[in-house]
Amino acid sequence: MTMTEHPRHRLADPLLNPVRFSIVAALDRAEKLSFGEVRDAVEITDSALSKQVSLLEAAGFLAVGKGFVGKTPRTTLSLTRRGRAAWRGHLDALREIAGEG
Amino acid sequence: MTDRTDITPAAARRLLSHADSLSRRTHDAVRWPYIAFLLGLGSTTSFGTAAMTLTEGRAFGLVYVGTLAATFALLLFFLVTTQGRRAFAWSRRWTVYMACWSTAYAGAIAAVALAHGSVAWAGTTSGLVLLVTLVCAAVEARR
Repeated sequence: MTMTEHPRHRLADPLLNPVRFSIVAALDRAEKLSFGEVRDAVEITDSALSKQVSLLEAAGFLAVGKGFVGKTPRTTLSLTRRGRAAWRGHLDALREIAGEG
Repeated sequence: MTDRTDITPAAARRLLSHADSLSRRTHDAVRWPYIAFLLGLGSTTSFGTAAMTLTEGRAFGLVYVGTLAATFALLLFFLVTTQGRRAFAWSRRWTVYMACWSTAYAGAIAAVALAHGSVAWAGTTSGLVLLVTLVCAAVEARR
């Protein structure tokens, strides 16, 4: 008898956190956003965003870029190839759990 | 952290809906200047070239200077509204948009020079400029 794995086992661990889930959702279509744009979209403080961004970066899901606009330092966030694949897999697993898959 | 066993079908649907709405909202918030720029560029250069094909003398001069002024104003708007935004990175997609517009615009300028006074050529070539940029803006908006 073949046992089918429940789709919840395919959920990506770093994306089970609601804030990290929202950060990746915000970056999904927009490709590359500034730190401030993500903060405004997700509606959290700079320090909370910074902490979650570090965790996503460590997981290899996010690329953090540093640059300048004029003399103002600007941090940019974008999904890595690995992050995008994990996000797609996570959404597919959610669709299966929801009965849409 | 949400426990993966807590994710019921109802919770999964809520998460999917949240992801979709947040993704769209963020995209729309940062993308509108780019879409407005494409629509403005198409309208300005389309009507400008049509009017240049169909006018002469001082009227032609007015249309020529007006089209240039409107295009520079549009570029200024684009630079001001996108300053500090990161959504736009010069990508292959934007190269294609600009190549399509440039080709259609070159056709419209050729009509100004070679088919001056022709309503048919003005309508066709300038209409193509408008059509091309409308399609590019629609593609960008639906991403």
